[in-house]
Amino acid sequence: MEHTQRTEVTAPLPSMAAPPPPSPDPQFVLRGTQSAVHALHFHSGAQGQGCPLLFSGSQNGLVHIWSLQTRRVLTTLDNHGGQCVTWLQTLPQGHQLLSQGQDLRLCLWDLTEGRNAVVDFVHLESMGFCRGSTLAMGQQRWTLAVPGKGTDEVQILEMPSKTSVCTLKPEADAKPGMPMCLELWQADSSSRPLLLVGYEDGSVALWDISQRKVCSRVACHTEPVMSLDFDSQKTRGVSGSAEKALAVWSLDEQQALQVCRTHEITNPGIADVKIRPDHRILATAGWDHRIRVFHWRTMKPLAVLAFHSAAIHCVAFANDGLLAAGSKDQRISVWSLYTQT
Amino acid sequence: MAVFDTPEEAFGVLRPVCVQLTKAQTVENVEHLQTQLQSVSDSALQELQQYILFPLRFTLKTPGPKRERLIQSVVECLTFVLSSTCVKEQELLQELFSELSACLYSPKSQKPAAVSEELKLAVIRGLSTLMHSAYGDIIVTFYEPSILPRLGFAVSLLLGLAEQEKSKQIKTAALKCLQVLLLQCDCQDHPRSLDELEQKQLGDLFASFLPGISTALTRIITGDFKQGHSIVVSSLNVFYKTVSFIMADEQLKRISKVQAESTVEHRVAKLMVHREADWVKSTGGKLTILIKKIIECVSVHPHWKVRLELIELVETLLLKCSQSLVESAGPLLKALVGLVNDESPEVQAQCNQVLRHFAGQKVVVGNRAFADILSENLHSLATSLPRLMNSQDDQGKVSSLSLLLGYLKLLGPKVNFVLNSVVHLQRLSKALVQVLELDVTDIKIVEERRWNTDHLSASPKTSAMRPWSQVQRRYFRFFTDERVFLLLQQVCQLLGFYGNLYLLVDHFMGLYHESVFYRKQAAMILNELVIGAAGLDVEDLHEKHIKTSPEELREIVTSILEEYTSQENWYLVTCIKTEEMREELTLKQPGFQAITSGAHNTCQATSLPAFSKPSPTICSMNSNIWQICIQLEGVGHFAYSLGEDFRLLLMSVLYPVLEKAGDRTLLISQAATNSMMDICHACGYDSLQHLINQNSDYLVNGISLNLRHLSLHPHTPKVLEVMLRNSDASLLPLVADVVQDVLATLDQFYDKRASSFISVLHALLVALAQWFPDTNHVGQPQEHTAEKEESHLNQRILENNATTAEDIEYFLLSYLKEKDVADGNVSDFYNEEEQSKPPEVDEKDTGPDVEPPLPVQIQIATDVMERCIHLLSDKSLKIRLKVLDVLDLCVFVLQSHKNQLLPLAHRAWPSIVQRLTNDDPLAVLRAFQVLRTLGGKCGDFLRSRFCKDVLPKLTGSLVTQAPVSARTGQVYSHTLAFKLQLAVLQGLGPLCEKLDLGEGDLNKVADACLIYLSAKQPMKLQEAARSVFLHLMKVDPDSTWFLLNELYCPEQLTPPHPSLHQVQLRGAMGQQNPYKANVLCLLQELP
Repeated sequence: MEHTQRTEVTAPLPSMAAPPPPSPDPQFVLRGTQSAVHALHFHSGAQGQGCPLLFSGSQNGLVHIWSLQTRRVLTTLDNHGGQCVTWLQTLPQGHQLLSQGQDLRLCLWDLTEGRNAVVDFVHLESMGFCRGSTLAMGQQRWTLAVPGKGTDEVQILEMPSKTSVCTLKPEADAKPGMPMCLELWQADSSSRPLLLVGYEDGSVALWDISQRKVCSRVACHTEPVMSLDFDSQKTRGVSGSAEKALAVWSLDEQQALQVCRTHEITNPGIADVKIRPDHRILATAGWDHRIRVFHWRTMKPLAVLAFHSAAIHCVAFANDGLLAAGSKDQRISVWSLYTQT
Repeated sequence: MAVFDTPEEAFGVLRPVCVQLTKAQTVENVEHLQTQLQSVSDSALQELQQYILFPLRFTLKTPGPKRERLIQSVVECLTFVLSSTCVKEQELLQELFSELSACLYSPKSQKPAAVSEELKLAVIRGLSTLMHSAYGDIIVTFYEPSILPRLGFAVSLLLGLAEQEKSKQIKTAALKCLQVLLLQCDCQDHPRSLDELEQKQLGDLFASFLPGISTALTRIITGDFKQGHSIVVSSLNVFYKTVSFIMADEQLKRISKVQAESTVEHRVAKLMVHREADWVKSTGGKLTILIKKIIECVSVHPHWKVRLELIELVETLLLKCSQSLVESAGPLLKALVGLVNDESPEVQAQCNQVLRHFAGQKVVVGNRAFADILSENLHSLATSLPRLMNSQDDQGKVSSLSLLLGYLKLLGPKVNFVLNSVVHLQRLSKALVQVLELDVTDIKIVEERRWNTDHLSASPKTSAMRPWSQVQRRYFRFFTDERVFLLLQQVCQLLGFYGNLYLLVDHFMGLYHESVFYRKQAAMILNELVIGAAGLDVEDLHEKHIKTSPEELREIVTSILEEYTSQENWYLVTCIKTEEMREELTLKQPGFQAITSGAHNTCQATSLPAFSKPSPTICSMNSNIWQICIQLEGVGHFAYSLGEDFRLLLMSVLYPVLEKAGDRTLLISQAATNSMMDICHACGYDSLQHLINQNSDYLVNGISLNLRHLSLHPHTPKVLEVMLRNSDASLLPLVADVVQDVLATLDQFYDKRASSFISVLHALLVALAQWFPDTNHVGQPQEHTAEKEESHLNQRILENNATTAEDIEYFLLSYLKEKDVADGNVSDFYNEEEQSKPPEVDEKDTGPDVEPPLPVQIQIATDVMERCIHLLSDKSLKIRLKVLDVLDLCVFVLQSHKNQLLPLAHRAWPSIVQRLTNDDPLAVLRAFQVLRTLGGKCGDFLRSRFCKDVLPKLTGSLVTQAPVSARTGQVYSHTLAFKLQLAVLQGLGPLCEKLDLGEGDLNKVADACLIYLSAKQPMKLQEAARSVFLHLMKVDPDSTWFLLNELYCPEQLTPPHPSLHQVQLRGAMGQQNPYKANVLCLLQELP
């Protein structure tokens, strides 16, 4: 299969004239996870104190904390019983890390002052690869969305009390299949938390959590939605699936989802898609070993980053624009792209 | 001799003598008086002072010509009296002063009289003693304006003596006396110090003499060096004491504008000087001229004590007369600063002490005028420096640079005033860059090559000394004196220490970019600037100076290093490219961008012209070599400056440095090794291995990224090799993916880069074999030894002389039984054992269908062996040989993983056969080596194939070649055929043993080799053939014994038992048998 993949010609930057710039090298590569990398998350650290960190979760259940200054592992967290770590997220308040593993546990780690202890965990009821999502609700409270007990359910919890708020179950006739990816968000104007869910049947749905009903649902893909990301400023989102296309959809004032456009790519399979915090570019993790970078507003392809030698499982952006990609080839490549903002 | 204590007694004794002297003034009488005086006590003498002095003064005053000898003895006697008594009367003092002064005056010539040197000396001493003997206040009253003419006379007299006399003694005495006369004597005898008013009065009085004294002394000081240093030292002393007294700021500020009504007579009043502002100004101006003259002359005086005195002069004048002599401050500071690096340690120490004193007292920095003067001086020096560096000789350069250094030291942080002026910074940097130009014409720089590759074993020296104190010897175009270089280093370090580092680094970085001609010098300067900025070796004279913070320094160093290690500055042409490179060139130019798809824009732009230059000149290559060395040295300097902080930079620096450590140019690899040593020191690593091992992750990163652009980084495999050689098994997880990259790249560039990759693979497998020594195969040798023991046992039975018939019968039976077993008629006993084994293995298996993932090293070895199979038939012999070595190692690593090894061995077999039967002798030998290893690990698999595919060809060729080699002479040993024969013979023996060949095949081997035991064969072939038989003996001693005896039978065999037949072997006994020597030799070896 690897040899049948077609290669693409790198598209030129819109701002630069010919000749096309060659594909750049990663700024550096992190090695030593000794297992496929499934989750990545940057943590910039509080202002002025501590160097920026990168968390990586791998197939063998370990979470590595990398210092981006020394490019070395600072600590290794091991509490997922050797089962794949699929999702990592730091909480806005302080040094707390969430890690989701396929051992059906979501661990909350306390990392203040070099500690690395599990302070709490949530028992998950669904195995799949669906990653959770969080939304800050106040000083100490935050909402957590995780796949629920039933195959098509999503569970909403209030944290840190772990009280179940509700379970979002699609209507009986909808049959969208399993939730594949979740994205909690809140419009600036309202206080109602909303949830975007990408389903197995290729549709993306918007749930209103307080009303527990689907506001809108749109079929974006013909294959399961693997990943989605949403830009709440532009109220536009993007999703990637197992097929050869990216879908860009938007949300109108009536909270109705509409597919704006789809973007064809050469090889099928987008494992992860992330919009950079400055909303300028977008990166995808391809099963074809490549990272693709697009201009977020125009969806113009900017670069195809070929470095990895196996499928890429996840991409992540740091606040300063650094991009990291984790791959089945056990490497994490870190890129510095189009940093002039 | 009796001592007369009371005046009465003394008077009794002295009176006749004095009377006598008054009557007859002769030398004898004077001497008689002096002798008598010896016995009189001081107190008695004081009482009788006037009485005794009378005849003496009378003698002097008597008109008419006198004999010099008489005057001299009178003066000496007078001096004696004065030295033991005090002069208590003002009048007496004045009269004595006049009378003594007059002794040297000849009224006729208006000049010092032409008298004997002894007399002159006596008079000078007399005057000196007289001034010391003046009692209490009368000395102050002595210096009233009315004495001026007489004092003036004495002063000019003394100056004349000091200047014109030949005798050193007189000169010194005159100067000393002058000092006393001007009340600047530094002896302890003076009763009290003067108060301010008295000082002012004296100053007013002496001011009249200042022009005379200063000019005369200047003449003496700037006179011939040969006059002796002590004269100059005393003159300098008198000069600065006088000047600093008369021109003291303390006194001058109290001088009123209007001259006080003088009470003295008009004639004297005209001589008096009023020291008001105008006078000070004009005098200061005149003195400046003199001071400049003095400095000019004295600062290069060969004697260090003179220079030391000059420092004293500068210090005194600058401290006491900073306002009155403001114009001289410049030259004075310059003189001081110029002596900072004096060759005499005493002068240096004193100079530094004064500088420190000045800095501590804020004499310079606190004083606007001085700071301005210094800046001014530095300005003008900066301006003239390029010209000076161009025109001066080494000595001149040393002094110019010392001066520069001194200014920097003295100015301290204020040096930025000068640096902030663009023009002056440019001047300064131009001078530095110009003088630091290297001589790049030496051909040796390019020629010297590094041959040994294992230099990394060196460990950093434990001495606390700066590790890079032994810098590589550099040759500069404009100077040869090492001191000049040291000074330049210090200048740059001081600039870095006090100057605005950002500004300086920026400026020199600019020069670095500006032109290739400046690049090396700019880099040298940058290196020193950083060392200076770290403040590690700089002696700080300005305590409150704020240094560059470590963070800032790291930032700056990072940016410099980025520049140093960038593609266009790090990868320079240092040798004429071999053909390999030329190939690349042709390959690169048409589709350059297509191939190096990932190259940065800048690289393409700069590396293209660099590569396409047909042949760089030796000069440019030398220059490149030096540049790389300097940059490497810089890395070491930076590590030294940053200490442990440098660890953070290792991620970007270690790779390029390590790459250079493997450079073929001796100088570069030395510099790189030194620089790595520095890094070890700075970052706390025990050895280079430790450094590499601890930072292998950074190295791997560099390697993997560079492998992506191999044509730009052709040395990447070399770095990987070095790293592998210096690491341990913990490296493997990090390096696993890089190995895959290497293999992938190798697949892409089979034809072009195979050789460099093969050596990486070789290093890799050597490492793997070392890191994972196989534990499984320990059992095998034991089996062997067991077998051997058994055969030994048999032999012992054979050897035993007293053999019985039963023994023989037993032996035969057991032999037959063993033979049965060997032929396959195995008893149940063995079968059972075999059957019981498999279930055990099954139990160990965790799951029947899930195969546990292979260990990384096995996976790697499998992948490498795969490539080897392809490369075994490469065109280049060198590569084939290397591949055979790698293959050998692969087999070793894979030995316990038969499932992987056997299929690969199967696929490799045809190529190996080719190597064995159809290749260069060298390849044949290596192939045998591989077969041996392979035979040890999977003998069964190999045996039949070997016997079928290889053995017939080998034996066949041996047999057909034997008659040829037997006939030829010396030249034959140079032919390919000979080498092949030799290789096969050398290889066969060990292989037969390893493969455990059957009897039939062994016989084939033996038959083919027997011919080579003939003495007609070349010696080397005989030796090789003997080695075959030695191995065969180990496998089957009996048949070998038989075979050999068939060839040549050295002795008649006696049967072990009479009941057995006599045996007659075919081997001929004759002396002519050509096999005799070798067979005998072999039979001896047989146990």
